[in-house]
Amino acid sequence: MSVPWTRQAAPVVAVAAVLAAVPLGVGDSPYQMRIATLMLVLACYAVAFNLLFGHTNQLFLCVGALASLGGYLSVILVRDLKLASLAAVGLATVAAAATGGFLSYVSVRRGFGVLFVGIVTLAVSLIVHNLLLGLRDLTNGETGIVTRGLGMGLGDHPLKAYYVLLAVMVASLAAYRWLFGSRHGAALHALSEDEVSAELSGIDVTRYKVACAAGASALVGLVGALYADLNGFISPSVYAVGHVDIPVLVALLLGGMRTLLGPVVGAALFSLVDELVRPFGQLTVLAYGVLLVALFLLFRQGVVPVVQSALGRRVPALRAPSSRTAAKEEVAGGTEAGR
Amino acid sequence: MSRPSEPVLRCRGITKRFGGVVALRDVTLEVEPKALVGLIGPNGAGKSTLLNVVCGLSRPDSGTVELDGRPVTGLPAHAVARRGVGRVLQIPRLFPSLTVEETVRVGALFGSPDSPGPAQTARRVDEALELVELRDRRTEPVGRLNTQEKRLVDLARALAGQPKLLLVDELMSGLNPVEIQRCTALLRRVREERGAAILWVEHVMDAVLGTVERVVVLDHGAVIAQGPPAQVAKDPAVVEAYLGVDFHAAEVAG
Repeated sequence: MSVPWTRQAAPVVAVAAVLAAVPLGVGDSPYQMRIATLMLVLACYAVAFNLLFGHTNQLFLCVGALASLGGYLSVILVRDLKLASLAAVGLATVAAAATGGFLSYVSVRRGFGVLFVGIVTLAVSLIVHNLLLGLRDLTNGETGIVTRGLGMGLGDHPLKAYYVLLAVMVASLAAYRWLFGSRHGAALHALSEDEVSAELSGIDVTRYKVACAAGASALVGLVGALYADLNGFISPSVYAVGHVDIPVLVALLLGGMRTLLGPVVGAALFSLVDELVRPFGQLTVLAYGVLLVALFLLFRQGVVPVVQSALGRRVPALRAPSSRTAAKEEVAGGTEAGR
Repeated sequence: MSRPSEPVLRCRGITKRFGGVVALRDVTLEVEPKALVGLIGPNGAGKSTLLNVVCGLSRPDSGTVELDGRPVTGLPAHAVARRGVGRVLQIPRLFPSLTVEETVRVGALFGSPDSPGPAQTARRVDEALELVELRDRRTEPVGRLNTQEKRLVDLARALAGQPKLLLVDELMSGLNPVEIQRCTALLRRVREERGAAILWVEHVMDAVLGTVERVVVLDHGAVIAQGPPAQVAKDPAVVEAYLGVDFHAAEVAG
Protein backbone atom coordinates (compact mmCIF):
# COMPACT_ATOMS: atom_id res chain seq x y z
CA MET A 1 0.00 0.00 0.00
CA SER A 2 2.94 2.27 0.58
CA VAL A 3 4.29 1.52 -2.90
CA PRO A 4 4.15 4.68 -5.03
CA TRP A 5 1.74 4.39 -7.92
CA THR A 6 4.47 5.00 -10.48
CA ARG A 7 6.23 1.86 -9.36
CA GLN A 8 2.96 -0.04 -9.24
CA ALA A 9 2.21 0.99 -12.80
CA ALA A 10 5.72 0.20 -14.06
CA PRO A 11 5.22 -3.48 -15.02
CA VAL A 12 1.92 -2.67 -16.75
CA VAL A 13 3.54 0.15 -18.70
CA ALA A 14 6.49 -2.10 -19.61
CA VAL A 15 4.21 -4.82 -20.97
CA ALA A 16 2.13 -2.26 -22.85
CA ALA A 17 5.25 -0.77 -24.44
CA VAL A 18 6.67 -4.13 -25.49
CA LEU A 19 3.42 -5.41 -26.94
CA ALA A 20 2.65 -2.07 -28.62
CA ALA A 21 5.91 -2.50 -30.56
CA VAL A 22 5.00 -5.96 -31.87
CA PRO A 23 3.30 -4.68 -35.07
CA LEU A 24 6.56 -2.88 -35.95
CA GLY A 25 8.05 -6.32 -36.43
CA VAL A 26 5.21 -8.37 -37.83
CA GLY A 27 2.75 -5.72 -38.99
CA ASP A 28 3.25 -6.65 -42.64
CA SER A 29 2.16 -10.21 -42.14
CA PRO A 30 -1.60 -10.58 -41.67
CA TYR A 31 -1.00 -14.12 -40.48
CA GLN A 32 1.42 -13.11 -37.73
CA MET A 33 -0.77 -10.18 -36.76
CA ARG A 34 -3.63 -12.60 -36.33
CA ILE A 35 -1.52 -14.86 -34.10
CA ALA A 36 -0.50 -11.85 -32.00
CA THR A 37 -4.10 -10.66 -31.71
CA LEU A 38 -5.36 -14.10 -30.72
CA MET A 39 -2.58 -14.19 -28.12
CA LEU A 40 -4.06 -11.00 -26.62
CA VAL A 41 -7.54 -12.56 -26.64
CA LEU A 42 -6.18 -15.57 -24.74
CA ALA A 43 -4.27 -13.30 -22.35
CA CYS A 44 -7.46 -11.35 -21.52
CA TYR A 45 -9.35 -14.56 -20.82
CA ALA A 46 -6.46 -15.71 -18.64
CA VAL A 47 -6.41 -12.43 -16.67
CA ALA A 48 -10.11 -12.97 -15.94
CA PHE A 49 -9.60 -16.62 -15.07
CA ASN A 50 -6.71 -15.70 -12.78
CA LEU A 51 -9.03 -13.48 -10.75
CA LEU A 52 -11.71 -16.19 -10.71
CA PHE A 53 -9.68 -19.28 -10.00
CA GLY A 54 -6.36 -17.96 -8.75
CA HIS A 55 -7.65 -15.37 -6.33
CA THR A 56 -11.20 -16.29 -5.36
CA ASN A 57 -11.17 -20.11 -5.68
CA GLN A 58 -13.89 -20.06 -8.33
CA LEU A 59 -13.14 -22.72 -10.94
CA PHE A 60 -15.27 -21.22 -13.71
CA LEU A 61 -15.04 -23.73 -16.57
CA CYS A 62 -17.39 -21.58 -18.62
CA VAL A 63 -15.01 -18.91 -19.93
CA GLY A 64 -15.83 -19.98 -23.49
CA ALA A 65 -19.55 -19.98 -22.74
CA LEU A 66 -19.39 -16.45 -21.28
CA ALA A 67 -17.33 -15.34 -24.28
CA SER A 68 -19.91 -16.88 -26.63
CA LEU A 69 -22.63 -15.01 -24.75
CA GLY A 70 -20.72 -11.80 -25.45
CA GLY A 71 -20.04 -12.74 -29.06
CA TYR A 72 -23.44 -14.04 -30.09
CA LEU A 73 -25.42 -11.44 -28.17
CA SER A 74 -23.49 -8.51 -29.63
CA VAL A 75 -23.79 -9.88 -33.17
CA ILE A 76 -27.49 -10.73 -32.87
CA LEU A 77 -28.30 -7.33 -31.34
CA VAL A 78 -26.73 -5.59 -34.33
CA ARG A 79 -28.17 -7.99 -36.93
CA ASP A 80 -31.74 -8.25 -35.65
CA LEU A 81 -32.28 -5.09 -33.61
CA LYS A 82 -30.00 -2.82 -35.68
CA LEU A 83 -28.26 -1.61 -32.55
CA ALA A 84 -25.07 0.44 -32.87
CA SER A 85 -22.17 -1.98 -32.58
CA LEU A 86 -20.62 -0.23 -29.57
CA ALA A 87 -23.94 -0.34 -27.71
CA ALA A 88 -24.33 -4.00 -28.60
CA VAL A 89 -20.86 -4.80 -27.29
CA GLY A 90 -21.65 -2.88 -24.11
CA LEU A 91 -24.92 -4.74 -23.57
CA ALA A 92 -23.23 -8.08 -24.26
CA THR A 93 -20.55 -7.22 -21.69
CA VAL A 94 -23.17 -6.38 -19.09
CA ALA A 95 -25.06 -9.61 -19.84
CA ALA A 96 -21.90 -11.68 -19.38
CA ALA A 97 -21.12 -9.86 -16.11
CA ALA A 98 -24.63 -10.51 -14.81
CA THR A 99 -24.44 -14.19 -15.79
CA GLY A 100 -21.04 -14.69 -14.15
CA GLY A 101 -22.10 -12.78 -11.04
CA PHE A 102 -25.28 -14.86 -10.79
CA LEU A 103 -23.36 -18.15 -11.13
CA SER A 104 -20.97 -16.98 -8.44
CA TYR A 105 -23.75 -15.85 -6.11
CA VAL A 106 -25.57 -19.17 -6.38
CA SER A 107 -22.32 -21.09 -5.82
CA VAL A 108 -21.38 -19.07 -2.75
CA ARG A 109 -24.87 -19.18 -1.28
CA ARG A 110 -25.18 -22.92 -1.77
CA GLY A 111 -21.68 -23.43 -0.38
CA PHE A 112 -20.34 -25.21 -3.48
CA GLY A 113 -16.73 -26.35 -3.15
CA VAL A 114 -14.11 -25.53 -5.79
CA LEU A 115 -14.56 -28.77 -7.72
CA PHE A 116 -18.33 -28.60 -7.58
CA VAL A 117 -18.25 -25.11 -9.04
CA GLY A 118 -16.07 -26.59 -11.79
CA ILE A 119 -18.61 -29.31 -12.51
CA VAL A 120 -21.59 -26.95 -12.45
CA THR A 121 -19.94 -24.39 -14.73
CA LEU A 122 -18.78 -27.14 -17.09
CA ALA A 123 -22.41 -28.24 -17.28
CA VAL A 124 -23.35 -24.61 -18.02
CA SER A 125 -20.79 -24.65 -20.84
CA LEU A 126 -22.35 -27.78 -22.36
CA ILE A 127 -25.84 -26.29 -22.05
CA VAL A 128 -24.78 -23.07 -23.74
CA HIS A 129 -22.99 -25.02 -26.48
CA ASN A 130 -26.11 -27.06 -27.18
CA LEU A 131 -28.33 -23.98 -27.07
CA LEU A 132 -26.12 -22.32 -29.68
CA LEU A 133 -26.39 -25.45 -31.82
CA GLY A 134 -30.10 -25.84 -31.28
CA LEU A 135 -31.44 -22.29 -31.60
CA ARG A 136 -30.91 -22.36 -35.36
CA ASP A 137 -33.19 -19.44 -36.17
CA LEU A 138 -31.07 -17.19 -34.01
CA THR A 139 -27.59 -18.70 -34.29
CA ASN A 140 -27.54 -20.66 -37.59
CA GLY A 141 -26.51 -23.69 -35.51
CA GLU A 142 -23.29 -25.42 -36.54
CA THR A 143 -22.96 -23.21 -39.61
CA GLY A 144 -22.34 -20.13 -37.48
CA ILE A 145 -22.72 -16.47 -38.37
CA VAL A 146 -20.57 -14.36 -40.66
CA THR A 147 -20.00 -11.25 -38.59
CA ARG A 148 -18.53 -9.00 -41.27
CA GLY A 149 -20.51 -5.76 -41.33
CA LEU A 150 -22.09 -6.48 -37.95
CA GLY A 151 -19.35 -4.96 -35.79
CA MET A 152 -16.77 -2.22 -35.74
CA GLY A 153 -14.92 -3.70 -38.68
CA LEU A 154 -12.04 -5.08 -36.65
CA GLY A 155 -11.92 -8.06 -39.03
CA ASP A 156 -10.87 -5.80 -41.91
CA HIS A 157 -8.27 -3.87 -39.96
CA PRO A 158 -5.77 -6.22 -38.29
CA LEU A 159 -3.78 -3.35 -36.78
CA LYS A 160 -6.87 -1.74 -35.29
CA ALA A 161 -7.98 -5.11 -33.92
CA TYR A 162 -4.59 -5.66 -32.34
CA TYR A 163 -4.50 -2.29 -30.64
CA VAL A 164 -8.09 -2.47 -29.41
CA LEU A 165 -7.36 -5.84 -27.82
CA LEU A 166 -4.09 -4.52 -26.44
CA ALA A 167 -5.91 -1.57 -24.89
CA VAL A 168 -8.43 -3.91 -23.26
CA MET A 169 -5.68 -6.17 -21.93
CA VAL A 170 -3.58 -3.31 -20.57
CA ALA A 171 -6.67 -1.81 -18.95
CA SER A 172 -7.43 -5.16 -17.31
CA LEU A 173 -3.83 -5.44 -16.05
CA ALA A 174 -4.00 -1.90 -14.70
CA ALA A 175 -7.27 -2.70 -12.95
CA TYR A 176 -5.70 -5.84 -11.49
CA ARG A 177 -2.70 -3.85 -10.32
CA TRP A 178 -4.88 -1.21 -8.75
CA LEU A 179 -6.99 -3.85 -7.03
CA PHE A 180 -3.97 -5.53 -5.48
CA GLY A 181 -2.38 -2.24 -4.51
CA SER A 182 -5.50 -1.34 -2.53
CA ARG A 183 -6.80 -2.84 0.70
CA HIS A 184 -8.98 -5.11 -1.44
CA GLY A 185 -5.79 -6.90 -2.43
CA ALA A 186 -5.18 -7.88 1.19
CA ALA A 187 -8.77 -9.13 1.43
CA LEU A 188 -8.37 -11.22 -1.73
CA HIS A 189 -5.03 -12.65 -0.56
CA ALA A 190 -6.66 -13.62 2.71
CA LEU A 191 -9.80 -15.18 1.28
CA SER A 192 -7.90 -17.15 -1.35
CA GLU A 193 -6.00 -18.80 1.51
CA ASP A 194 -8.89 -19.44 3.88
CA GLU A 195 -12.43 -18.19 3.51
CA VAL A 196 -13.53 -18.89 7.10
CA SER A 197 -10.58 -17.04 8.60
CA ALA A 198 -11.18 -14.20 6.15
CA GLU A 199 -14.84 -14.00 7.16
CA LEU A 200 -13.88 -14.03 10.86
CA SER A 201 -11.46 -11.19 10.15
CA GLY A 202 -14.32 -9.02 8.92
CA ILE A 203 -13.99 -9.65 5.17
CA ASP A 204 -17.26 -9.99 3.25
CA VAL A 205 -16.23 -13.10 1.31
CA THR A 206 -19.50 -13.36 -0.61
CA ARG A 207 -19.30 -9.80 -1.88
CA TYR A 208 -15.69 -10.15 -2.99
CA LYS A 209 -16.31 -13.42 -4.81
CA VAL A 210 -19.43 -12.20 -6.60
CA ALA A 211 -17.83 -8.85 -7.50
CA CYS A 212 -14.71 -10.58 -8.86
CA ALA A 213 -16.82 -13.05 -10.83
CA ALA A 214 -18.91 -10.24 -12.31
CA GLY A 215 -15.83 -8.19 -13.20
CA ALA A 216 -13.97 -11.13 -14.72
CA SER A 217 -17.07 -12.20 -16.65
CA ALA A 218 -17.48 -8.67 -17.99
CA LEU A 219 -13.93 -8.85 -19.35
CA VAL A 220 -14.60 -12.26 -20.89
CA GLY A 221 -17.88 -11.09 -22.44
CA LEU A 222 -16.27 -7.96 -23.85
CA VAL A 223 -13.36 -9.88 -25.37
CA GLY A 224 -15.75 -12.54 -26.67
CA ALA A 225 -17.68 -9.81 -28.48
CA LEU A 226 -14.50 -8.21 -29.88
CA TYR A 227 -13.35 -11.65 -31.00
CA ALA A 228 -16.61 -12.14 -32.92
CA ASP A 229 -15.85 -8.89 -34.73
CA LEU A 230 -12.19 -9.45 -35.51
CA ASN A 231 -12.60 -13.10 -36.47
CA GLY A 232 -15.26 -12.33 -39.09
CA PHE A 233 -17.15 -15.46 -38.18
CA ILE A 234 -18.49 -17.22 -35.11
CA SER A 235 -19.80 -20.71 -34.50
CA PRO A 236 -20.39 -22.79 -31.37
CA SER A 237 -17.05 -24.53 -31.83
CA VAL A 238 -14.88 -21.38 -31.77
CA TYR A 239 -16.11 -20.81 -28.20
CA ALA A 240 -16.11 -24.48 -27.16
CA VAL A 241 -14.48 -25.66 -23.94
CA GLY A 242 -11.63 -27.27 -25.87
CA HIS A 243 -10.99 -24.07 -27.80
CA VAL A 244 -11.21 -21.56 -24.96
CA ASP A 245 -11.28 -23.01 -21.45
CA ILE A 246 -8.52 -25.58 -21.85
CA PRO A 247 -6.05 -23.12 -23.46
CA VAL A 248 -6.92 -20.57 -20.75
CA LEU A 249 -6.32 -23.06 -17.98
CA VAL A 250 -3.04 -24.23 -19.50
CA ALA A 251 -1.85 -20.67 -20.21
CA LEU A 252 -2.56 -19.53 -16.66
CA LEU A 253 -0.90 -22.55 -15.06
CA LEU A 254 2.10 -22.16 -17.36
CA GLY A 255 2.50 -18.45 -16.72
CA GLY A 256 1.78 -18.59 -13.01
CA MET A 257 -1.42 -18.15 -11.06
CA ARG A 258 -1.88 -15.18 -8.74
CA THR A 259 0.66 -13.07 -10.57
CA LEU A 260 0.14 -9.93 -12.62
CA LEU A 261 2.06 -11.12 -15.65
CA GLY A 262 1.45 -14.86 -15.44
CA PRO A 263 -1.61 -14.72 -17.72
CA VAL A 264 0.26 -12.67 -20.35
CA VAL A 265 3.46 -14.75 -20.26
CA GLY A 266 1.38 -17.93 -20.27
CA ALA A 267 -0.71 -16.79 -23.23
CA ALA A 268 2.45 -15.83 -25.14
CA LEU A 269 4.06 -19.20 -24.42
CA PHE A 270 0.90 -21.04 -25.35
CA SER A 271 0.63 -19.21 -28.67
CA LEU A 272 4.30 -19.85 -29.35
CA VAL A 273 3.99 -23.57 -28.62
CA ASP A 274 0.87 -23.69 -30.75
CA GLU A 275 2.83 -22.28 -33.68
CA LEU A 276 5.89 -24.46 -33.09
CA VAL A 277 3.91 -27.68 -33.25
CA ARG A 278 1.89 -26.69 -36.29
CA PRO A 279 4.39 -28.16 -38.83
CA PHE A 280 4.08 -31.58 -37.21
CA GLY A 281 0.73 -32.06 -38.91
CA GLN A 282 -0.80 -35.25 -37.63
CA LEU A 283 1.75 -35.39 -34.84
CA THR A 284 0.72 -31.95 -33.59
CA VAL A 285 -1.23 -33.25 -30.64
CA LEU A 286 1.59 -35.55 -29.59
CA ALA A 287 4.26 -32.86 -29.88
CA TYR A 288 1.97 -30.51 -28.05
CA GLY A 289 1.46 -32.97 -25.21
CA VAL A 290 5.18 -33.68 -24.83
CA LEU A 291 5.99 -29.98 -24.73
CA LEU A 292 3.31 -29.30 -22.16
CA VAL A 293 4.44 -32.16 -19.93
CA ALA A 294 8.01 -30.88 -20.12
CA LEU A 295 6.93 -27.35 -19.29
CA PHE A 296 4.84 -28.51 -16.36
CA LEU A 297 7.71 -30.58 -15.01
CA LEU A 298 10.13 -27.67 -15.24
CA PHE A 299 7.80 -24.86 -14.23
CA ARG A 300 5.29 -26.40 -11.91
CA GLN A 301 4.38 -23.11 -10.23
CA GLY A 302 4.38 -21.32 -13.53
CA VAL A 303 7.08 -19.42 -15.36
CA VAL A 304 6.66 -16.04 -13.69
CA PRO A 305 7.17 -17.22 -10.08
CA VAL A 306 10.17 -19.33 -11.12
CA VAL A 307 11.78 -16.41 -12.90
CA GLN A 308 10.97 -14.13 -9.98
CA SER A 309 12.64 -16.38 -7.44
CA ALA A 310 15.63 -16.94 -9.74
CA LEU A 311 16.06 -13.19 -10.09
CA GLY A 312 15.38 -12.80 -6.38
CA ARG A 313 18.34 -15.01 -5.53
CA ARG A 314 20.64 -12.73 -7.42
CA VAL A 315 19.02 -9.49 -6.34
CA PRO A 316 18.47 -9.64 -2.57
CA ALA A 317 16.05 -6.71 -2.65
CA LEU A 318 13.59 -8.84 -4.60
CA ARG A 319 13.67 -11.78 -2.27
CA ALA A 320 11.05 -11.15 0.41
CA PRO A 321 7.78 -12.67 -0.82
CA SER A 322 5.61 -10.18 1.05
CA SER A 323 2.89 -8.29 -0.74
CA ARG A 324 4.68 -5.00 -0.20
CA THR A 325 7.59 -6.08 -2.38
CA ALA A 326 5.27 -7.65 -4.93
CA ALA A 327 5.58 -4.62 -7.16
CA LYS A 328 9.33 -5.10 -7.46
CA GLU A 329 8.87 -8.76 -8.21
CA GLU A 330 6.38 -7.96 -10.91
CA VAL A 331 8.97 -5.67 -12.47
CA ALA A 332 11.32 -8.63 -12.49
CA GLY A 333 8.55 -10.58 -14.19
CA GLY A 334 8.19 -7.76 -16.69
CA THR A 335 11.63 -8.37 -18.14
CA GLU A 336 10.56 -11.94 -18.81
CA ALA A 337 7.46 -10.81 -20.64
CA GLY A 338 9.61 -8.47 -22.68
CA ARG A 339 11.70 -11.23 -24.14
CA MET B 1 -20.65 3.77 23.89
CA SER B 2 -22.75 1.38 25.89
CA ARG B 3 -24.02 2.21 29.32
CA PRO B 4 -21.83 0.71 32.03
CA SER B 5 -24.54 -1.71 33.12
CA GLU B 6 -25.24 -2.97 29.59
CA PRO B 7 -23.68 -6.40 29.00
CA VAL B 8 -21.39 -6.54 25.96
CA LEU B 9 -22.93 -9.89 25.02
CA ARG B 10 -26.41 -11.12 25.77
CA CYS B 11 -27.66 -14.48 24.47
CA ARG B 12 -31.33 -15.20 25.06
CA GLY B 13 -32.94 -18.60 24.55
CA ILE B 14 -30.47 -19.84 21.94
CA THR B 15 -31.51 -23.17 20.45
CA LYS B 16 -29.55 -24.86 17.69
CA ARG B 17 -30.31 -28.24 16.12
CA PHE B 18 -28.24 -30.28 13.73
CA GLY B 19 -30.74 -32.70 12.22
CA GLY B 20 -32.22 -34.53 15.20
CA VAL B 21 -29.47 -33.51 17.60
CA VAL B 22 -30.11 -30.54 19.82
CA ALA B 23 -26.69 -28.90 20.12
CA LEU B 24 -27.91 -25.92 22.15
CA ARG B 25 -31.08 -25.85 24.24
CA ASP B 26 -32.49 -22.51 25.33
CA VAL B 27 -29.11 -21.07 26.28
CA THR B 28 -29.22 -17.71 28.02
CA LEU B 29 -26.06 -15.98 29.15
CA GLU B 30 -24.51 -12.56 29.54
CA VAL B 31 -20.96 -11.26 29.46
CA GLU B 32 -20.30 -7.92 31.16
CA PRO B 33 -17.81 -5.43 29.69
CA LYS B 34 -14.23 -6.39 30.55
CA ALA B 35 -15.39 -9.64 32.16
CA LEU B 36 -13.40 -12.84 31.85
CA VAL B 37 -15.96 -15.63 31.68
CA GLY B 38 -15.10 -19.31 31.41
CA LEU B 39 -17.31 -21.64 29.37
CA ILE B 40 -16.81 -25.28 30.28
CA GLY B 41 -18.54 -28.59 29.74
CA PRO B 42 -17.83 -32.12 28.56
CA ASN B 43 -17.00 -32.90 24.94
CA GLY B 44 -20.03 -32.31 22.75
CA ALA B 45 -21.71 -30.05 25.29
CA GLY B 46 -22.14 -27.34 22.65
CA LYS B 47 -19.40 -24.90 23.67
CA SER B 48 -17.93 -24.35 20.22
CA THR B 49 -21.42 -24.31 18.70
CA LEU B 50 -22.35 -21.49 21.06
CA LEU B 51 -19.25 -19.51 20.05
CA ASN B 52 -20.14 -20.15 16.38
CA VAL B 53 -23.67 -18.82 16.94
CA VAL B 54 -22.35 -15.71 18.69
CA CYS B 55 -19.79 -14.90 15.97
CA GLY B 56 -22.19 -15.53 13.11
CA LEU B 57 -20.63 -18.67 11.63
CA SER B 58 -23.79 -20.53 12.58
CA ARG B 59 -27.38 -19.32 12.64
CA PRO B 60 -29.49 -20.28 15.68
CA ASP B 61 -32.87 -21.95 15.13
CA SER B 62 -34.33 -19.68 17.79
CA GLY B 63 -33.17 -17.12 20.32
CA THR B 64 -31.34 -13.83 19.98
CA VAL B 65 -27.78 -12.60 20.25
CA GLU B 66 -27.17 -8.97 21.22
CA LEU B 67 -23.95 -6.99 21.26
CA ASP B 68 -24.11 -3.85 23.41
CA GLY B 69 -27.86 -4.20 23.38
CA ARG B 70 -28.11 -4.34 19.57
CA PRO B 71 -29.34 -7.53 17.90
CA VAL B 72 -26.84 -9.34 15.65
CA THR B 73 -28.72 -12.64 15.34
CA GLY B 74 -28.31 -14.14 11.90
CA LEU B 75 -25.82 -11.54 10.67
CA PRO B 76 -22.96 -12.99 8.60
CA ALA B 77 -19.68 -13.56 10.45
CA HIS B 78 -17.84 -10.66 8.77
CA ALA B 79 -20.51 -8.21 9.92
CA VAL B 80 -20.37 -9.52 13.49
CA ALA B 81 -16.57 -9.30 13.41
CA ARG B 82 -16.81 -5.64 12.39
CA ARG B 83 -19.13 -4.96 15.29
CA GLY B 84 -16.33 -5.88 17.65
CA VAL B 85 -16.30 -9.64 18.06
CA GLY B 86 -12.96 -11.42 17.72
CA ARG B 87 -13.02 -15.18 17.34
CA VAL B 88 -9.98 -17.36 17.95
CA LEU B 89 -10.42 -20.86 16.54
CA GLN B 90 -9.52 -24.03 18.38
CA ILE B 91 -7.61 -25.30 15.37
CA PRO B 92 -6.22 -22.15 13.78
CA ARG B 93 -6.73 -22.01 10.02
CA LEU B 94 -5.26 -18.61 9.21
CA PHE B 95 -3.64 -17.83 5.87
CA PRO B 96 -0.69 -20.24 5.48
CA SER B 97 1.41 -18.36 2.93
CA LEU B 98 0.93 -14.93 4.50
CA THR B 99 3.50 -13.82 7.04
CA VAL B 100 2.68 -13.28 10.70
CA GLU B 101 2.58 -9.53 10.18
CA GLU B 102 0.42 -9.71 7.03
CA THR B 103 -2.02 -12.00 8.82
CA VAL B 104 -2.39 -9.63 11.75
CA ARG B 105 -2.74 -6.71 9.34
CA VAL B 106 -5.76 -8.42 7.76
CA GLY B 107 -7.39 -8.32 11.20
CA ALA B 108 -6.45 -4.67 11.65
CA LEU B 109 -7.69 -3.64 8.19
CA PHE B 110 -11.04 -5.39 8.19
CA GLY B 111 -11.89 -6.32 11.77
CA SER B 112 -13.00 -2.96 13.11
CA PRO B 113 -15.94 -0.70 12.25
CA ASP B 114 -13.65 2.25 11.48
CA SER B 115 -11.45 2.08 8.40
CA PRO B 116 -8.02 2.68 9.94
CA GLY B 117 -5.44 4.61 7.95
CA PRO B 118 -1.99 3.17 7.18
CA ALA B 119 -0.33 4.59 10.31
CA GLN B 120 -3.12 3.47 12.59
CA THR B 121 -3.16 0.02 10.97
CA ALA B 122 0.58 -0.34 11.52
CA ARG B 123 0.21 0.70 15.15
CA ARG B 124 -2.58 -1.80 15.78
CA VAL B 125 -0.51 -4.56 14.20
CA ASP B 126 2.47 -3.65 16.38
CA GLU B 127 0.39 -3.56 19.54
CA ALA B 128 -1.19 -6.93 18.86
CA LEU B 129 2.15 -8.57 18.03
CA GLU B 130 3.69 -7.02 21.13
CA LEU B 131 0.95 -8.41 23.32
CA VAL B 132 1.36 -12.01 22.10
CA GLU B 133 5.15 -11.62 22.03
CA LEU B 134 5.58 -12.50 18.36
CA ARG B 135 7.23 -9.30 17.18
CA ASP B 136 10.47 -11.01 16.26
CA ARG B 137 8.60 -13.60 14.14
CA ARG B 138 6.68 -11.07 12.09
CA THR B 139 8.25 -11.85 8.71
CA GLU B 140 7.78 -15.62 8.95
CA PRO B 141 5.05 -17.33 6.93
CA VAL B 142 2.32 -18.53 9.27
CA GLY B 143 2.42 -22.00 7.71
CA ARG B 144 5.83 -22.57 9.27
CA LEU B 145 4.77 -21.89 12.87
CA ASN B 146 3.78 -24.57 15.38
CA THR B 147 0.19 -24.95 16.55
CA GLN B 148 0.57 -22.84 19.66
CA GLU B 149 2.26 -20.03 17.76
CA LYS B 150 -0.53 -20.19 15.20
CA ARG B 151 -3.10 -19.82 17.97
CA LEU B 152 -1.25 -16.74 19.20
CA VAL B 153 -1.16 -15.30 15.68
CA ASP B 154 -4.88 -15.95 15.42
CA LEU B 155 -5.33 -14.18 18.76
CA ALA B 156 -3.23 -11.25 17.54
CA ARG B 157 -5.25 -11.13 14.31
CA ALA B 158 -8.45 -10.92 16.36
CA LEU B 159 -6.96 -8.31 18.74
CA ALA B 160 -5.83 -6.10 15.86
CA GLY B 161 -9.51 -5.61 15.01
CA GLN B 162 -9.98 -3.88 18.41
CA PRO B 163 -12.66 -6.31 19.67
CA LYS B 164 -14.99 -5.54 22.55
CA LEU B 165 -15.59 -9.23 22.95
CA LEU B 166 -13.08 -11.98 22.36
CA LEU B 167 -14.26 -15.56 21.85
CA VAL B 168 -11.38 -17.86 22.69
CA ASP B 169 -11.67 -21.57 21.92
CA GLU B 170 -9.21 -23.88 23.67
CA LEU B 171 -6.09 -21.79 23.63
CA MET B 172 -4.18 -24.17 25.88
CA SER B 173 -4.73 -27.79 24.93
CA GLY B 174 -1.43 -29.63 24.71
CA LEU B 175 0.56 -27.03 26.65
CA ASN B 176 2.85 -27.69 29.62
CA PRO B 177 2.16 -25.98 32.97
CA VAL B 178 4.64 -23.17 32.35
CA GLU B 179 3.13 -22.38 28.96
CA ILE B 180 -0.35 -22.54 30.47
CA GLN B 181 0.67 -20.00 33.06
CA ARG B 182 2.02 -17.69 30.39
CA CYS B 183 -1.18 -18.10 28.44
CA THR B 184 -3.48 -17.25 31.34
CA ALA B 185 -1.31 -14.22 32.10
CA LEU B 186 -1.73 -13.22 28.45
CA LEU B 187 -5.52 -13.43 28.65
CA ARG B 188 -5.49 -11.30 31.81
CA ARG B 189 -3.31 -8.73 30.05
CA VAL B 190 -5.65 -8.72 27.04
CA ARG B 191 -8.52 -7.93 29.36
CA GLU B 192 -6.68 -5.29 31.35
CA GLU B 193 -4.70 -3.54 28.61
CA ARG B 194 -7.21 -3.83 25.79
CA GLY B 195 -10.39 -3.67 27.81
CA ALA B 196 -11.92 -6.59 25.93
CA ALA B 197 -14.42 -8.94 27.52
CA ILE B 198 -13.46 -12.57 27.03
CA LEU B 199 -15.66 -15.63 26.70
CA TRP B 200 -13.25 -18.47 27.04
CA VAL B 201 -13.83 -22.15 26.25
CA GLU B 202 -11.18 -24.36 27.78
CA HIS B 203 -10.59 -27.95 28.78
CA VAL B 204 -7.70 -27.21 31.10
CA MET B 205 -9.78 -26.90 34.26
CA ASP B 206 -7.09 -25.56 36.57
CA ALA B 207 -6.36 -22.72 34.22
CA VAL B 208 -10.03 -21.75 33.83
CA LEU B 209 -11.11 -22.05 37.44
CA GLY B 210 -8.01 -20.24 38.66
CA THR B 211 -8.31 -17.34 36.22
CA VAL B 212 -11.93 -16.38 35.58
CA GLU B 213 -14.31 -14.61 37.91
CA ARG B 214 -17.35 -16.37 36.52
CA VAL B 215 -17.83 -19.72 34.85
CA VAL B 216 -20.74 -21.05 32.77
CA VAL B 217 -21.24 -24.82 32.56
CA LEU B 218 -22.86 -26.38 29.50
CA ASP B 219 -24.04 -29.97 29.40
CA HIS B 220 -25.96 -31.54 26.51
CA GLY B 221 -26.46 -28.07 25.09
CA ALA B 222 -28.03 -26.56 28.21
CA VAL B 223 -26.62 -24.24 30.86
CA ILE B 224 -26.63 -26.28 34.05
CA ALA B 225 -24.79 -23.87 36.32
CA GLN B 226 -23.05 -20.51 36.38
CA GLY B 227 -21.32 -18.40 38.98
CA PRO B 228 -17.97 -17.97 40.67
CA PRO B 229 -15.62 -20.92 40.05
CA ALA B 230 -15.47 -22.05 43.66
CA GLN B 231 -19.25 -22.19 43.90
CA VAL B 232 -19.75 -23.89 40.52
CA ALA B 233 -17.14 -26.54 41.25
CA LYS B 234 -19.19 -27.60 44.27
CA ASP B 235 -22.54 -27.50 42.49
CA PRO B 236 -24.01 -31.03 42.67
CA ALA B 237 -25.38 -30.86 39.10
CA VAL B 238 -21.95 -29.90 37.77
CA VAL B 239 -20.18 -32.54 39.80
CA GLU B 240 -22.55 -35.16 38.51
CA ALA B 241 -22.83 -34.09 34.88
CA TYR B 242 -19.35 -33.00 34.12
CA LEU B 243 -16.76 -33.31 36.79
CA GLY B 244 -18.13 -36.56 38.19
CA VAL B 245 -16.31 -38.59 40.77
CA ASP B 246 -13.14 -38.06 38.75
CA PHE B 247 -13.11 -34.31 39.34
CA HIS B 248 -9.96 -34.58 41.36
CA ALA B 249 -8.36 -36.82 38.76
CA ALA B 250 -9.38 -34.43 35.99
CA GLU B 251 -7.88 -31.58 37.90
CA VAL B 252 -4.60 -33.41 38.31
CA ALA B 253 -4.56 -34.58 34.69
CA GLY B 254 -5.49 -31.09 33.44
